[in-house]
Amino acid sequence: MKFSGFGYLIKEGVKNIWSNRMMSIASVGVLISCLLMTGAASLLSVNVTSAVESVGGENVTRVYLEQEVTDLEAVYITNELATISNVTETVFIPRDDAIKELEDTYSDAIFEQLQGEGNPLPNAVDVTMEDLSLYDTTISQVMAVEGVESIRDTREIAQKLTSLNNLVTTLSFWIVLALTCVSIFIISNTIRMTMYSRRFEISIMKSVGATDTFVRIPFVVEGMTIGLVSGIVTSVLLFFLYDIIMKTAQNIIEFSFVPYSQVGVWTTIVFIGAGVVIGALGSVVSIGRYLKKEGNELLGW
Amino acid sequence: MIEFRNVSKVYSTGTHALNKASLTIEKGEFVFIVGSSGAGKSTFLKLIMREEIPTSGTIIVNGMQLDKMKRRQVPMLRRTMGIVFQDFRLIDKMTVYDNVAFAMRAIGASPKAIKKRVPYILELVGLEGKSHNYPSELSGGEQQRVGLARALVNNPKMIIADEPTGNIDPEMSFEIMELLSEINKRGTTILIVTHEHELVENFGRRVITIDKGVVVDDTMSVSASES
Repeated sequence: MKFSGFGYLIKEGVKNIWSNRMMSIASVGVLISCLLMTGAASLLSVNVTSAVESVGGENVTRVYLEQEVTDLEAVYITNELATISNVTETVFIPRDDAIKELEDTYSDAIFEQLQGEGNPLPNAVDVTMEDLSLYDTTISQVMAVEGVESIRDTREIAQKLTSLNNLVTTLSFWIVLALTCVSIFIISNTIRMTMYSRRFEISIMKSVGATDTFVRIPFVVEGMTIGLVSGIVTSVLLFFLYDIIMKTAQNIIEFSFVPYSQVGVWTTIVFIGAGVVIGALGSVVSIGRYLKKEGNELLGW
Repeated sequence: MIEFRNVSKVYSTGTHALNKASLTIEKGEFVFIVGSSGAGKSTFLKLIMREEIPTSGTIIVNGMQLDKMKRRQVPMLRRTMGIVFQDFRLIDKMTVYDNVAFAMRAIGASPKAIKKRVPYILELVGLEGKSHNYPSELSGGEQQRVGLARALVNNPKMIIADEPTGNIDPEMSFEIMELLSEINKRGTTILIVTHEHELVENFGRRVITIDKGVVVDDTMSVSASES
């Protein structure tokens, strides 16, 4: 193929989009929805994974002390806990710090009133374990220490989050797969409509000896352009939507989400790449069948 | 050059379109293919253009063996021939110039080559003043000249015309035939499928008659033998 005619073919592809604009806009719309849902599913998965890692990654168990335990006694208990064989680190969390922590997180005026004498929180100690498989033994040793009231078992949360993470990952995978198929189907239908409206020109191209590649290029350009536009629009939408959605989600459940700056570049690359690839695939799927036809058969005469 | 050796074509519907047909058309010839409808003329053309593959037999066109040809080689075969259709098959929304240029663009010709070649061909068929007109603004004879210009523009070794005068009035038909004769004088093989006996007789050229899928007659027409 001579590349001198290449510019012409690209121009033809862009022309296709314009002459078939209603269908092009519709497929861009559907493709954006698909990409957005795909993106939401993947980003949810990323966030849940990160949440699981942040919870499960710390082998820290918070040990609550009895209400009557004074700060000084608490320091002794902290030191005592440090002597347990599987414990690598102990950090004393005074009740005043704990209430401030809550106030910082929720920024609610009610916590201000609860400071000082009215503080309902007990003193606590964060205990870091070396080996989580010895969790039960270590916990019973911790509970045996005088002044220890209860513990907060993060291991159970971690386990729940891990199974939630697996569920979300599996679900996202299927959602991504299904929506990719839908997108390819939509694009291939759009391209098929363009091909149908240009079948006469295709038959003439073939009769004068145009190669399959040459006939195909404008339609692939059309599909890829639709995909490219959808990818760009989706990335822009996501840029604005991500923080809003995550902050709303944060108001419902407290968790630290993965900031956009950390995922933004990747999602943009993936969206645009996926858009272009889906566009190309969609058009190739619909063209193959057409190219095998000849003459009047192509024209449906 | 076209060579058919014992070519048969049976369609999946069971129709025997060609039955052990053999014939040879040399380079530079001017040949009419005649026969009633359903005789096998269309199949004959489709086989030459390789829109169909023979059930048995050998076909050689412009040095290429068609029955053993791979699909991706077909475009190269078609570049050696120019096709003229009975219904002109011009693209309505393109000007005369663009219709002709389209055939060059389709095979990847450079814009420079197109700019040089298209006006030359339009002049050859006598349409130099109509290059910016649309097909709907032309008479039937003029439209067929555009079709002929498009068939010629890629400089093919032969022109295949399927009932080229079927949709135009007799006077115009004569002009088209004259034009084809002129092109033939420059060395291009001309193959015309028609059922207009009058036209064939007036021109005095080789006539191949096909009936029921068999070549029943292959002679020079009367006026040719007279001259």
